[in-house]
Amino acid sequence: MSCLLPGMELDRATIGLVAEAERIARQLSVEHVVVASGVPAELLQHATRQADRVVVLPTKEPGDYQIEPCLAALHTVGAELKPRLVLLGQDTYSQEIAPRLAHRLQGCSIGDAQRIEIRDEKIHVTRGVYGGKAIAVVRANVEPAVVWTRSRAFAAEPERSAACQVEHHEGGTDDSSGSEIIERSREAASGVRLEDAQVIVSGGRGLGGPEPFAELGELAKSMKAEVAASRAACDAGWVSPSLQIGQTGKKVAPELYLAIAISGASQHLMGIADAKVVAAINTDADAPIFRHCQFGLVEDFRKVIGPLKEQIEESNG
Amino acid sequence: MDDATRQVLWNIKHVWVMYVLLVPTAVVAGYGVYRHVRQWRRGQPSARFDRPIERLARVLKMAILQATIWRDPLAGALHAMMFWGFVTLLIATTVVMIDHDFNVPIMKGSFYLYFQSLFVDCLGALAMVGVALAAIRRWGLRPKKLVFSDEANGILVLIFVILASGFLLEGWRIAATNDEWSSWSPVGLMVARVSTTVVSVDALRTAHLIVWWGHLLLVFGLIAWAPYTKLLHIVTAPLNIYTSNLDAPAGSLQPIDFESAEVFGVKNLEQFTWKDLLDLDSCTECGQCTSVCPANAVGKALSPRDIILDLQRQLPAMGRPLSGHTDVANEPSSIIADGTPLSAEALWQCTTCGACVETCPVAIEQYPKIVDMRRFLVMEDAQFPRTLQGALTSMEQRGHPFRGTQASRTDWADGLDVPHIKEVDQPEVLLWVGCGGALVDRNQKSTRALAKLLQHAGVKFGILGRDESCTGDPARRIGNEFLFDTLARQTIETLNSHQVHTVVTACPHCFNTFRNEYPQFGGKFEVYHHTTYLAKLIGENRLTLDASQIGTITLHDPCYLGRHNGITDEPRQILAKVSEAPLIEMEQHGTQSFCCGGGGGMSFVDEPPDQRVNVERSKQALSSGADTIAVACPFCTTMLEDGVGALQSDRKVVVKDVAELLWDSVENSNAAKADVGDRDKS
Amino acid sequence: MKILVCLKQILDPEVSPRDFQVDPDRLEAVLGSASLVTNIFCENALETALQLREGSDSEITAMTFGPDDAEETLRKAFALKVDHAYRIATPEIPHCNSAGAATVLAAAIKKLGTFDLIMLGRESGDWGEGQTAGLVAEMLGLNCVSFVDQIDIVDAGVHLQRQTDVGREKLVSDTPVVVSITNTETNVPRIPKTRDIMLAHRKELTTWTLDDIGLDEEKVTRAANATQVVELYIPEETSSCEFITGDSLDDRIRELAQRIANIVQSV
Ligand SMILES: Cc1cc2nc3c(=O)[nH]c(=O)nc-3n(C[C@H](O)[C@H](O)[C@H](O)COP(=O)(O)OP(=O)(O)OC[C@H]3O[C@@H](n4cnc5c(N)ncnc54)[C@H](O)[C@@H]3O)c2cc1C
Ligand code: SF4
Ligand code: SF4
Repeated sequence: MSCLLPGMELDRATIGLVAEAERIARQLSVEHVVVASGVPAELLQHATRQADRVVVLPTKEPGDYQIEPCLAALHTVGAELKPRLVLLGQDTYSQEIAPRLAHRLQGCSIGDAQRIEIRDEKIHVTRGVYGGKAIAVVRANVEPAVVWTRSRAFAAEPERSAACQVEHHEGGTDDSSGSEIIERSREAASGVRLEDAQVIVSGGRGLGGPEPFAELGELAKSMKAEVAASRAACDAGWVSPSLQIGQTGKKVAPELYLAIAISGASQHLMGIADAKVVAAINTDADAPIFRHCQFGLVEDFRKVIGPLKEQIEESNG
Repeated sequence: MDDATRQVLWNIKHVWVMYVLLVPTAVVAGYGVYRHVRQWRRGQPSARFDRPIERLARVLKMAILQATIWRDPLAGALHAMMFWGFVTLLIATTVVMIDHDFNVPIMKGSFYLYFQSLFVDCLGALAMVGVALAAIRRWGLRPKKLVFSDEANGILVLIFVILASGFLLEGWRIAATNDEWSSWSPVGLMVARVSTTVVSVDALRTAHLIVWWGHLLLVFGLIAWAPYTKLLHIVTAPLNIYTSNLDAPAGSLQPIDFESAEVFGVKNLEQFTWKDLLDLDSCTECGQCTSVCPANAVGKALSPRDIILDLQRQLPAMGRPLSGHTDVANEPSSIIADGTPLSAEALWQCTTCGACVETCPVAIEQYPKIVDMRRFLVMEDAQFPRTLQGALTSMEQRGHPFRGTQASRTDWADGLDVPHIKEVDQPEVLLWVGCGGALVDRNQKSTRALAKLLQHAGVKFGILGRDESCTGDPARRIGNEFLFDTLARQTIETLNSHQVHTVVTACPHCFNTFRNEYPQFGGKFEVYHHTTYLAKLIGENRLTLDASQIGTITLHDPCYLGRHNGITDEPRQILAKVSEAPLIEMEQHGTQSFCCGGGGGMSFVDEPPDQRVNVERSKQALSSGADTIAVACPFCTTMLEDGVGALQSDRKVVVKDVAELLWDSVENSNAAKADVGDRDKS
Repeated sequence: MKILVCLKQILDPEVSPRDFQVDPDRLEAVLGSASLVTNIFCENALETALQLREGSDSEITAMTFGPDDAEETLRKAFALKVDHAYRIATPEIPHCNSAGAATVLAAAIKKLGTFDLIMLGRESGDWGEGQTAGLVAEMLGLNCVSFVDQIDIVDAGVHLQRQTDVGREKLVSDTPVVVSITNTETNVPRIPKTRDIMLAHRKELTTWTLDDIGLDEEKVTRAANATQVVELYIPEETSSCEFITGDSLDDRIRELAQRIANIVQSV
């Protein structure tokens, strides 16, 4: 079964999640049930073309989420369905529900799945550990395996030709929760702290002034990235010092760190030790930054940023 | 000539009045000094009376010969003129006393003529010149480093009046007594001649009487007042120099006995040693320390002089709560206070470069007091800049201060076949790489060069690899003595367990710690900085090299090598072999080098862009016109490379460690030989 | 308010990649020259607790489940002046996962009686499972709120705040409640005073065995065996940079864009 919780939308991540559940269900030759709570109608629509059944839990209003009632409802459904695998997303709600649901269903829980496989009839999950320094394959010895997945780790599946029915479930019994979310403020997407950012585009002294940083901002937007800088760029007053990465600046751990016109002094590198992938654009092929890159382009940034942005936007669709 | 003399106390009656006046003068002055002695005695113990010969030699050099004051030629000249002038006058007065009061007739003959008349007259005149120069400097040139106060003005005027009246008295006596030996007192004679053309001899006699008593009153007044002014240094300076730390600036920081200390570091004056308090009372306000302070030079708040003077200002209130300065428990609150020279901000700007200590004419130790106060901030208050916290935590947890480094301790040695010390049979030396040499990308090149040089010279050496850990230098200077204590004991233990006796290191900070600080913890090693060791290898002909055409070089002396440890020749010896062009010296070099900004933990804090010591030093290096800036310290390397980068000069100037430059020449020579070989073959 | 903070000692997550090794037989990281440190999120939790105590009449108990070395983590907590500290000694369980650890912690908490706030880090820097808080709550039958970065004590219990994918949330909760803490600007761990570090070594620290908390090893092993690590390896390092080549600048940019898009879209 796969669970769609409030806040999820019809995007790549969710589509991949449902598709992965569909694939595993086929491998295990079991039914694929999507259990949804407070998600938008178009996502439900999509689910009906990927699953054998779609079960919708009651919510006061779309997007409403309360921890204990949601957990209780999923528990009730789970107890009825007796799934072998429960898939959840990477969002905060999924992460907090997963271990507790596993416990209630007397299964096990595994998080941050990059890959799910069936080996010898058992569910195996591949995940990064030790801050990405190592990779572990974990086997679920008891079931259900409640697994929350790294978002966008999975590819889409073609939709089925026939849609299934949407069933409405009366939910769980626990309403007297004791812990209640009383206020929720949606805030602008730009509020991501550099330390939490998944993608960072960073500029250095080679940019030569504040104007190119504006272009960098555009590029970053196309990549859903945050903008950062080397100390040299902060010092020059082109950007706020709070964007400084490095030994005396911030330490970040994004999936991708794109360094543009940054030489890669060791003090700077100390801030990106935990970045998964480092890439660079620099005119100097001998710049130390390239020694820490997975891939790089030796080119003047002025010729690259504009077209690169367009290309990325294109591939975003 | 043998009967040459003069009548002592000519024209003066009721001389007993003078003796009577001497009593209150002595009492007031004595009390003035006693007040201070009483305060010093409230400080913590400090052993400062060993090695008396060395100490006396120091007093001779610094106090009598005024060696350090000459750094500022004008100040040196005027101070020496006044100092030697007054010393001479004091001796002359003593001679009078011996002659008159003890009835030993020594004021006669050639001694009288050459010394008591001619010499004293000349030095008195010299003192007058000194006063004049001081007046020009204080009221005309107004250099920034001076303290401008009414007191200072008053003292200068008073000294002038005393000297001038002295000459008037002499001249009038000569005129009135028609002194036949007057030509031996040229200034006095001149006064006499001028005076007699204006007034009658009788009038002069009366004037002499009045002025004599006036002169006496002023002199006694000055003596009585002096201990209450900066002139206190007349007494304290020699004392302070005698009891100074003979090993300063290198051996200035002392361990803490954590079991018995009531406060870790210094929160109030009580925690200073008596010597620290004596320091405070010795300051002459000359401002020399602040004028050489690199942090001050780039516009930061730190001013060692003002730290000393502010502490001195607080001395009278020692032990008593300052009004409005008490905390809840009604204890005196800390001497560290925002908005004063003793702000935490200023204390966190010191690079512990030691320039202040090195230059102070009265041997005051400024930066150790800063470290003492940092100790309080770090260990008792646990309040300090966040990036320093990161460095300290990293040292504590990982044994190095470079949080976030991606390098391991042995990356630099990839492909070099450098063995662990325990795999070397009877090693000559341990190569101590240091955190800066191993964990900072840039410096790995220098470390490689050094290792290759040692290999080339056939030195049997090994490294500690992953068993190496921070010597603790940054921890100590940041003020976390507790962490330093732990790291020091650990390192000593590691070295002992590997039976290490001789250490070579490229890091002056490690070098200094091994050499001057580990002995405090029972760690005794023979330690060489790589420049010394390489110079030795060259001397023993173990390295073959060819000077190369690398253009001109200037050398940046690392503070912890030059100033703190007096090693300035060896790097120069090496550079002389490396390049054919003569070394270009920057104005501030050798033991008076200007800091790169990286010491004292300062490479772990971000300085405001317009107040960077490394940029200032890079400017100096660039303006020397040299093509290469030679360095001999991993911290200096990164600081200067950063500074040169920030200045974006059109010229391509490189920053290279001495070891890198030397290795280049060795390779050069190998290549040359290979060339010759090739030609022979063909 | 009675506060319990659970702390975990882990292998230094900042160990240089070159120094990091795994034991392919034991399926665990090798300590090697790396150090052991307190998990940062646990330190954030402790800091949050210390701040709560400053503004209220509270008592903080620190607890860890770990080997002898883990005592160091509790000593550090003592240096920050927690009131009590307990260590439950680990038996030889190969890689005890969150389920195993939660079983132990829950039993120990039960033995100690009631706490108003039970705080844990959101996840640990080694295996990063992020489950312990939730599991402890389940085992104790308590509510649980995850990823909290601010706590205020109010009359009726506590106000909790957190950042979620959909925005900032404020919760009101009865006590007792289990809370998992994440890092934020305001809960950066403080530095202990040296004197407190020294005194910390003289403080009384309770060590319990599984017996003491009424568990047998079998039960912990069973809980831990719900999942099992079957492989652990270090991904091959792409040590050298691959320079993007192509005939025209256009091609090269297209290639670059593709690679970037691949990563960005998998985030
Ligand atoms: C104590 C200390 C602490 C420090 N802490 C930090 C820190 O926390 N963070 C930090 O970042 N730095 C820090 N530094 C500074 C660090 O040493 C470097 O000086 C700094 O990172 C350099 O910034 P940069 O790479 O932007 O500039 P540079 O080193 O000048 O590099 C500019 C790069 O841009 C390239 N370039 C130029 N023009 C173009 C173009 N048209 N297109 C493409 N590429 C181009 C050049 O080839 C060069 O590689 C610290 C330094 C010290 C001494
Ligand atoms: S040690 Fe150097 S930086 Fe510190 S006060 Fe003295 S001169 Fe200034
Ligand atoms: S401390 Fe020394 S150098 Fe500084 S002002 Fe006083 S006497 Fe001069």
